[in-house]
This record gives sequence, structure tokens and C-alpha cells, in this order.
Amino acid sequence: MPEKQLLQINVDLNCDYKCERCEKFFECRDEMKWKIYGRRRMARAARTMAKIKKKVAIGGGKGGSGKSTMTANLATALAMMGKKVSVLDQDFDGSTIPKLFGTMGKKLKIGERGLVPVEGLLGIQMISLGSIQKEDEVITMFHEMRRGTTEEFLAHVDYGERDYLLVDLPPGTSSDACNLMQYIPDLHGTVIVTVPSQVSQIAARKASLLSLRADVRVLGIIENMSGYICGKCGNHFDVMQTGGGERLAHELEVPFLGRVPLHPQLSAASDAGVPFVYKYPDNLGSKAVMEIARKLDTFLDEIIEKESK
Amino acid sequence: MDDNLRELQSINIDLACDYDCANCERYFQCDLPQKASFGKRGFLPKAKKNLETVKRKIIVLGGKGGVGKSMLAVNLAAALYKRGKKVCVLDQNYDVPAVPLMMGVADQKMKVGPKGLIPVEAYPGFKVVSMGLVLDESQFIIWFHDSKRVATEEFLTYVEYGDVDYMVLDIPAGTSSETVNVLKLIPDMDGSVIITIPSEVSQNVAERAVFISRQANVPVIGVVENMSMFVCPECGEPAAILQSGGGEALAKRMGIDFLGSIPANVRVSTTLDQGTPFVLNEPELEASKTVLNVADIIIRRFET
Repeated sequence: MPEKQLLQINVDLNCDYKCERCEKFFECRDEMKWKIYGRRRMARAARTMAKIKKKVAIGGGKGGSGKSTMTANLATALAMMGKKVSVLDQDFDGSTIPKLFGTMGKKLKIGERGLVPVEGLLGIQMISLGSIQKEDEVITMFHEMRRGTTEEFLAHVDYGERDYLLVDLPPGTSSDACNLMQYIPDLHGTVIVTVPSQVSQIAARKASLLSLRADVRVLGIIENMSGYICGKCGNHFDVMQTGGGERLAHELEVPFLGRVPLHPQLSAASDAGVPFVYKYPDNLGSKAVMEIARKLDTFLDEIIEKESK
Repeated sequence: MDDNLRELQSINIDLACDYDCANCERYFQCDLPQKASFGKRGFLPKAKKNLETVKRKIIVLGGKGGVGKSMLAVNLAAALYKRGKKVCVLDQNYDVPAVPLMMGVADQKMKVGPKGLIPVEAYPGFKVVSMGLVLDESQFIIWFHDSKRVATEEFLTYVEYGDVDYMVLDIPAGTSSETVNVLKLIPDMDGSVIITIPSEVSQNVAERAVFISRQANVPVIGVVENMSMFVCPECGEPAAILQSGGGEALAKRMGIDFLGSIPANVRVSTTLDQGTPFVLNEPELEASKTVLNVADIIIRRFET
């Protein structure tokens, strides 16, 4: 038998109309699929979400590109602009939002109207699995449990009226990212965080394509770790070759939101549990994030205005 | 109002036992006798048979994303290769496989032969198996747990590995689907290498990687710290991008060996982008010395 090229791994499944758990949801052209939003828990999630004005996911595909750090700092920047912000930590295995906000000791509470988010700096609300996890507990949740948790965090949380919901996505393009985009079909967009390396662009491209497939616009690309600024002499030099983020934005025809450099203060602030935009507002990195937050806010206002017409 | 609030203990989405061990998330915590029979049916015996020609299997774990798991997997395999071993890197990352690019084989595709998939050979005796060798760059995957499990089964039972001394497994961030699947299907994994970066945030996640390795009865070979000791090329100020020493502290706290640190260097990132493992092409680099040392520790551990 001659060798032939492998075209795909054959792991296909048949349709059982369980749309909320389907991997092909975004490709599916069957109109039946929209009915899931009338189902009990999906409908409840939609009602809770309707009270939040702007809903943005922060992804990137690759791990360690700074999605969580960017989420925490964009949330703080928006809160500093006077917005009411909630942060949803969709990274269940390696949740870091409580650590980044210094709310490790605080636990999620449950009240009459559902889960009560942990409140941190500037009144920012946080929902994270890290807030209920025990110290030596390992999360091994497969898809169904993940979906259940996302559902719980969207449908049964007492967010109240908010300006912003920022969702911190884990690496990858499967379970968590899809669950979110299925449960919030009116997500206003995704922000893609990438680092300058070539490897990261592959992941960021896939994450952007996933978002577009789910009909969620890509609000823009942020290049994180874009060079390093020495804490002593202030010189700027590269840790990885820079410019990859901008090239990707150009290629995908989405806005490039800006570069955020590395600086010792930034990492120290994260470890200390205070977002750096708040702790070191004069740092170049903080200024870059503030600028991105302002851009995002205006951009979202324009989008919402356009949609309401 | 506040008096009515109770502390939340867990998210209640538990599933009852249906003896479907292949799909169970609690597999490693479970001690039901039925679990033993899982090893006798299904893919486990097939995987075992197919992997008979693979002598040692080592998994790189990190928990957190972007700490350098793929970098270490590729270069550890390269270091073992440099020591004259036949190696194979099995990339378990389906969503965003990075190994083909880092090995410079991103433009190649896996072929199907009479006995199954044929790994791509980056160098003679250096094999690569990855989802990235099936997909195009602009294709992406939306796979939930079942599809990932089936793909792992496929990669373990239906690939013609041939004679391999060391298989190095690269897994994605997280501690769920991909990690559990592969640890379940390779119950005789020879060891895990934990990789972390110095920041505290990463230590918390790396600890979970150590826990899962222990739960699955895989001996932890040790911890490698990546991106440490960065020095400003202008003024020589030790640039704690991420505070150094976290890896060593983790090793001490968890009672495991510290294997060395890989200093942050722009060459590390550029060699990966170019697809030439630094261990093979830039032996004078500090990173290469560390990884070669880890390879020697592994060889000593298993071959003497």
C-alpha cells in the first residue's frame, strides 16, 4: 500500500441536537441551533448578561502571553475612568485573577439572588474558581464540567447593573473559549493579546479566526512583552523580536491597539497583588494600558451607537 | 443582608459514576475496584502494545501557559538526541501546536502508511508527531473533551513510532483534558519534568502540576526554572523581569530536585522561531548547558 497524505483525524460525531454541547456550533447552518437561547439556563444567562453594557473577552490562544495580567489591568484602567467593571475568570485550571488582585483570602459567597462576586480594588467585581479552590486542589474538569461552570458563572451570579464585563480566557481554542461565545452570543468583541515571537502569532491567529467564526468581532491586538525597559538605566531592548503583533493585525485587518513593554515594576506589582496601572501610573507600561483602555472604550461606544441605529 | 450570605464551598456540577473510566475526570482520585478492569479493555492495552518499541516516556508539565513547556520538550529531546539517543516528540497540544514550527518542520505533513501514521523526521532518528503536521496554519480546532481523547488514543495506538529510546511529551497549559488523557493512557510514564518561571503567579500553578503528577503516580524528575536571571545588556543591572529563585523555592517546598535554570535570552526565542533547537546549534548558550545537564540527569537515572 503506497503512502498517502493524512488529511484529517477522523473523530466525527453525529448531530443529537444538543447544541449547547456541540463542537460544530459555529459552523452549523441549521436554524434550529438558535433555539438553545430559549432553553432554561441559557435564557437565564442571557437575562443576567443583558444588564451589562459592554462585554469583552480577552484571549490570545497562547499561554503566558499576559491575558490575565492584561485583563486585570484593563479592568483597573476602566475602573479608574469611573466605570463599573466585573471580571470573569474563565481560566479554571490555572486561575490567577484572585492573585493579581490580591484577593486570595476572599471567598465567593452565595446569597438569595445567586453567587455574590468578590469585590476588590475600586469596586471591581471578580468571579473566579480560584476563589473557592482549596490550596492543594487540582482542577481536572473535562468539557461538560467546564460548560456547567461557565453556565453557573453567567446565569447564577448577582452582577447587577454594570458597565463592563471583561472575561479572561485560558489558552487554547476549544472548551472555554467556545462555551463563552456560545453563552454570550452578543459579546461585543475579543481583544487578542500576543507576544512578539513567531510561535505566539500562530496561536493568536487561530484565536482571532475562532472569534470571527463565532461572529464575534476582534476589537484589536495588543503586543505584550514588547521589549524590556531596564529599571536602572531606562534603556529599552528586545527580549523577543518585536513587531509580530502589528504584522498580524495588518494581515487580519483588525486594529492594532498598542505595545506594552516589560518593566521590573510591572511584574513586581502583579506579584504583590496590585494591578500596575494603579500602583505605578507613571510607568510606560501603565500609560500604554491606559491608552488602550481609552481606545477600547471609545471604540465600543461607537459600535453600540451603530448597532442601536 | 450580609448575614444571609454563605461561603461557597464548591460548584455543584457533579456527575454520578457510570463506570465510564475512559471519560472520567476523577480517575486518579478513584479507588473503586472497577477501575482495574479499565486497563484490560479498550485502548489501554492497544496503546501499550503500540508503545512497546518506545523505551522511555517523559512528560513536560507546567500547568501555566507560556512558561516554556514546548521549548523544553523540543530542546530536551534535542539534548537526548545529541547524546546519541533516538527520540520522538509527541505534541499533545491540539489547539495551538507549536512543536512543528520550533522543529522547523511546519511545512511538512504526516503520512499514512500500512500500519498507521508515519511521524515526520526532523533529523534522522528525531521524530515529531503533532496535530500541526495535519492541519494548515489557518485551520483551527474546536474540540471538546471527547474528540481530544479520541485524538490522543489515535496518536498513541495508530502511529508507527519504530524504535525510540526517549519519547518526550509536550502538553498544553492546564491540568484537564489533554493532561489527564495522556496520563491515563500511558500508565507507565517514566517521569515528569516540571517547568516554571520565577513569578509567584506561576508557582501556584506549577504546584498543581506537581500534584497531578503525583496523583497519577508519575515520578517527578525535577523542576527547571525558565526566563530567570535576565541582565540588562547596557548597564548590567540584573533585570528581574520576573523575580528569580522561584523554581528553586518550589523544588524545596515540594521536596523535589531542582534541575537548573534557563536564563532569559533573545537567542532562545529567535532559535525557536527559526526552527533550530538551540541545544543543537548554539551549544555555548547557557540555556543549552542547562538542558544538556537535564538530559544527562535523565540518562543517568534510567540507564545506570
